[in-house]
Amino acid sequence: MSSEAAGLLGVGLLLVLIALRIPIAAAMIIVGGGGFAWLAGTGPLLAQLKTLAYWRFSTYDLSVVPLFMLMGQFATRAGLSSDLFRAANVWIGHFRGGMAMAAVGACAGFGAICGSSLATASTMGQVVLPELRKHGYEPALATGTLAAGGTLGILIPPSVILVIYAIIVEANIVTMFQAALIPGLLATLVFALVVRLYVWLKPEAGPVGDRYDPGERWQATLAIWPVLLIFLLVIGGIYFGVFTPTEAAAIGAFGVGLTALVKGRLNRGSLMNCLLETGKATAMIFLILLGAELLNGFIALSRLPASAALWIEQAELAPMTVMLMMLLVFIVFGCFMDSLSMIILAVPFFWPMLADLDFGMDQDSLKIWFGILALVVVELGLITPPVGLNVFIIHGLADDVPMRETFKGVMPFFVAELFRVALLLAAPGIVLLLPRLLG
Amino acid sequence: MAAIAWISRLWAIAGGLVLLAVMLMTVTSVAMRYTFGSPILGDFELVEMGTAIAAFAFLPHCQLTRGNVAVDVFTTKAPPRVQAALTATGSLALALIALLLLWRMTLGGHDFFRYGEVTTNIGVPRWWAFPPILLSLALLVLTSLVTLAEDLGVLGTGGEPS
Repeated sequence: MSSEAAGLLGVGLLLVLIALRIPIAAAMIIVGGGGFAWLAGTGPLLAQLKTLAYWRFSTYDLSVVPLFMLMGQFATRAGLSSDLFRAANVWIGHFRGGMAMAAVGACAGFGAICGSSLATASTMGQVVLPELRKHGYEPALATGTLAAGGTLGILIPPSVILVIYAIIVEANIVTMFQAALIPGLLATLVFALVVRLYVWLKPEAGPVGDRYDPGERWQATLAIWPVLLIFLLVIGGIYFGVFTPTEAAAIGAFGVGLTALVKGRLNRGSLMNCLLETGKATAMIFLILLGAELLNGFIALSRLPASAALWIEQAELAPMTVMLMMLLVFIVFGCFMDSLSMIILAVPFFWPMLADLDFGMDQDSLKIWFGILALVVVELGLITPPVGLNVFIIHGLADDVPMRETFKGVMPFFVAELFRVALLLAAPGIVLLLPRLLG
Repeated sequence: MAAIAWISRLWAIAGGLVLLAVMLMTVTSVAMRYTFGSPILGDFELVEMGTAIAAFAFLPHCQLTRGNVAVDVFTTKAPPRVQAALTATGSLALALIALLLLWRMTLGGHDFFRYGEVTTNIGVPRWWAFPPILLSLALLVLTSLVTLAEDLGVLGTGGEPS
């Protein structure tokens, strides 16, 4: 059997194992390790396993991940989700559809700090859904907004998944963070517009909320200033090279933790919980990354990406066709796999195939552009009917709303997302502008 | 089994405290860099080592609380017994992986010790990280076996969670 055939067989086996409920990390370790042993021999595998996990877990860049997770945990304990929503709602809640737009803004803010779409959807959903329902918002609009809003955090830095992508393709983390900002803010704006359009066509879907007087407005805004300040410090510090992403994450976690402590929302019990939740998420990600390391070794030995690249060249596929096919795969898999596993699993296959194609830009730019596109479409998968995971999470929080309604509510956002993908594909400048200006 | 759950929880919290220490050390180092012009010597190496120790310490608790993500959408319609069998296979796989890593990394740590491998700037012996890491892996073997026993229990009752 040729090594390419072994590689293909390995990929097939991996997908089967994952579909059969084997934990993704375990499936990657089994197939990666097994395949490596098959192609290179058992001896080299056993020798590699002596220190591979140590080196992987002690990568400096990777230390960003648990620290950002910790920051997200502290933010949740500090009651950031309700504070953010309140701060946005007191300003725009009295407009038609304003509360839903405030929810979009709060999702973007919370997601930025939290970094996980599913967690953002569920945390914000718990806070905002009851409010929206109480004020008579149409169930479809309320659930749709939150399912879609949950996906916003992924691009707005600091994003854990962006760090992981950068590590896999050996891109500069800072540059990735810079590139993600404009597309992320664009999505927030577009989602708010979708809500506006929705209530314009269907005014009864988004009734006007209460109006607040200036005193209440400033009070609500003041409640979030420490976190806003920390956020600006973290992002600004990373963008302008004042500190490394790891240092920024440590400062952010420290600051948000201190805020929670001052607000009296962090005692010994809740600190333990923060540490345990951080640990659980970290362990999950690190074990998958170990699997990815083994799998990458196997895939590189199998020369599968190189053969695929050759095949693409011989078939004379247009680079854009290849890109579109890859994005389609991301959307399909994103429907039932969480975004992080998806990126860790697919990017090592896709990037080598893409690297030498001519998109009219240098390889570093292509790396950035592809990364942002991949993240956007993976998130798109989370709200794709009829399987999107975010929709299920929101459905779990509001089970009196039929699933069909929730999907109906998500549809406008889904369509808007397709337009955003098309826009980013047609105009890579949107992604590359900020890195060029700051770099 | 309750003892293993208690220990792995405590061990994960200890890992969390290491992470907190990494956080505080980094904040201090940045502050020192901008006030005195010199950071804590070897701060990057301490971050690396601390993160690795913490991450390994999180693994047993993660497995015990079923934190290792798996895709279940394709098998939700399968009979309960089949589902239980699949979950049990996953736990078994993790137990074997943990055992393999424990075996190999014991030798890896021994190599670091024997060849006197130290970190680049402040010369911390690399093997120092290994005793806690190996303990974490041993604990991971145990917690994977606990989850396996739970899964088999479910299988024994015909797929209904006991």
